[in-house]
Amino acid sequence: MATSAQTLGSDGTPEALPGERPPLEWVGYLFVALFAVPFLIFNVAPVFFGAYVAFTEWSIIGTPEWVGLGNYDDAISDEWVWVAFRNVLFYALIIVPGVTVLGLLFALFVNKSYPLSGLARTLFFAPHVVSATVIGLVWVYLLDTQYGLLNAVIGALGAPSIPWLTSSDYALVGVSMASIWWDLGLAFVLLLAALQDIPRDLIEASTVDGAGPVNRLRFIVLPHLRPVLSMVITLQMISTLRIFSQVYVMTNGGPAGSSSSPIHYIYTVAIVRNLYGYASALAIMLFLVILVATIVQRFAVREMA
Amino acid sequence: MTGINNPGSRRRKPDSDLSRRSVLRGSAAAAGAAVSAPFLGATRAYASGHTEIIHWSWLAASDGEVWAQMIDNFNEAHADKGVQIKMELVPEEQYVTKVLAATATGRAPDFGWGTAGKGAALARDGVTVPLDDLIDEVGLDIADFSDLSVTAARYPKYDNAMFMIPMDLMSLQPEINLDHVAEAGLDPNSPPATGDELIEWGKAMTRRDGDTVTRSGILMTGSGVQPTVTWGIVAEQMGFRRASDDLSMAAVNPDAGIAAMEWVLDLFDKHKVSTRDVTDRYKAFGTGNGSIFWTGPWTLNGYVGQGLNFMTSNFPNIGGELKTYFEMGGLELYKQSDEGRYKATLDAVKWISDNSFLWTTVGRGASPRKSILERPDYKTAGHPWSVRGAFVEGMEFATIPEIPVVAGPEFTIYSGGNYLARTLEGVWARTKTPAEAMSELQARWQEGLDEG
Repeated sequence: MATSAQTLGSDGTPEALPGERPPLEWVGYLFVALFAVPFLIFNVAPVFFGAYVAFTEWSIIGTPEWVGLGNYDDAISDEWVWVAFRNVLFYALIIVPGVTVLGLLFALFVNKSYPLSGLARTLFFAPHVVSATVIGLVWVYLLDTQYGLLNAVIGALGAPSIPWLTSSDYALVGVSMASIWWDLGLAFVLLLAALQDIPRDLIEASTVDGAGPVNRLRFIVLPHLRPVLSMVITLQMISTLRIFSQVYVMTNGGPAGSSSSPIHYIYTVAIVRNLYGYASALAIMLFLVILVATIVQRFAVREMA
Repeated sequence: MTGINNPGSRRRKPDSDLSRRSVLRGSAAAAGAAVSAPFLGATRAYASGHTEIIHWSWLAASDGEVWAQMIDNFNEAHADKGVQIKMELVPEEQYVTKVLAATATGRAPDFGWGTAGKGAALARDGVTVPLDDLIDEVGLDIADFSDLSVTAARYPKYDNAMFMIPMDLMSLQPEINLDHVAEAGLDPNSPPATGDELIEWGKAMTRRDGDTVTRSGILMTGSGVQPTVTWGIVAEQMGFRRASDDLSMAAVNPDAGIAAMEWVLDLFDKHKVSTRDVTDRYKAFGTGNGSIFWTGPWTLNGYVGQGLNFMTSNFPNIGGELKTYFEMGGLELYKQSDEGRYKATLDAVKWISDNSFLWTTVGRGASPRKSILERPDYKTAGHPWSVRGAFVEGMEFATIPEIPVVAGPEFTIYSGGNYLARTLEGVWARTKTPAEAMSELQARWQEGLDEG
């Protein structure tokens, strides 16, 4: 209830006196709620529910049956879990440096004005806006052992075909190649934006002082890019640890699990085998791995700086 | 003058009336209307006496077009009877999950496609509806169905009730590229009937570049469904059983299973009639990059449509006992909060079954209905008998069924992603010995049987 001490504002709503808390603007909360409520219901609540389900045996129908740490015990003794986590480590070792280095090289390339550099920017970024499924299908064609474009080139050079997707020795590499190509666009754009933020007078001063291209890159460009590089590596690390679509479309995790990933295995356990408690436990394990990897990586980048 | 300053403008009035209460009131009304709209819509549909039966299907290959035609035929025949079927496509791999989720929220489809023997968990959890009483109620003539199909539609561990209306019987039989046969000088009238003859045919039609197979005489892939199902068929022919008849013991006669793994490996490494490098088996056969390809009748519509010159023969006797993979597709009813819908749904399914001539001549496998099989035009209708015949006559020895337990999907030999397939992939990639794989399968399958 408004007291006699309150005054009304120009729009007729009560205004707070000095020292009083301003009245709540419920309309503001309403607008926030339009985003916040669906976010809480569809993003946050499932995370907590998943954490609970991880301690149960459940197949959607019926009440989850509490099994304590049973699902985690099963995961530790499941060889396919170890295979999937080992694979994702290799994926990260290939894809994260691949995307970062190539993204930087491409950004450096188009940062200067060349003929068709505008077209190059579009082409470098274009794969990122295509769905992973399409990328996967295109790369299955490119990497086909018998009729793929890449093996045709290799064959023309006189070398034997490489079974990119059908051999347990190469499948992980084949999927990584497609992933690098797909993920490159975002890293490229972020790094290009950071490059364009470097003051030109700094570059010109270093040139006047006799710094060559290598020294300029080492002492001027890279230090300025450090925050963005850190972000690119972090984002790419998280993205790679969650790799799924390319694996699903290109190899379905085979041959012999050689290209499977944690998310692909979680998908198999949940959707194909309907073991939702076990799948949730695996998802929690993956979450912890991503969390630790991210913290370690951020710390390492800061230390290097 | 702007609208905001003009008292007469259309933008001014809402501004002047806007208050927290009015916004909240309006929003609440809008949200209430949005939330209740679907229910109001459903109520209106019932009130007008129109029944819409929701059907989920995962048939997305060339057989899907024929199935859509079947549903259209039903809707056309019932246009003035107040009953229509609404079909929705659901990806096969996600089908069970979506049915479970829909059932849990009380919005399951009325009926959908299932595969005999793979739905024990659904039967156990009450997601699928036992049909025996309903079948009597709607007057579906169950005596007209083959004994094999009725047996396959039941789950012995769940009151031996029928949980599916059989729609088609399928088997895996070799499709053979006739251009390759002619090129190799082979006689298409005497297709391979034994394991030795099969290898001879495979060798005659294989193309190599040095030691590398560039065209598979016997089409295989290095992982996934094809080597798994091949192993499953050959192993059963050699006397291996994934489970004993009473479903108490797993991996009976494991030596035969190991021998069958060696037989598959020999296709790649000894006889060199297959390559692990094929990524898409359907496409490879369709484009002439494989000569003999055992697959199911669901491929016929596509290959005939594209004009591929091929024939189909009976699966050869490789292991001593002639057998091939058996699969039965059928329609199952899902749990509804309004049980009154079951009869209307089964009435619709009965009509579809009674009129499944098109489906079992053009769409997919052999008919489970005796009355359809006995029709004089059954052999002449649909695709030519040279490509369809083996899938009908070969049902005689299609005796490798699913294992009807809750863990049944882990036993199925027609899978590219279950425990069996993943375990065998290690063998095909030479990272695991056949004996190791058999030992792992035995342990896992026994757990599955013990679960019931």
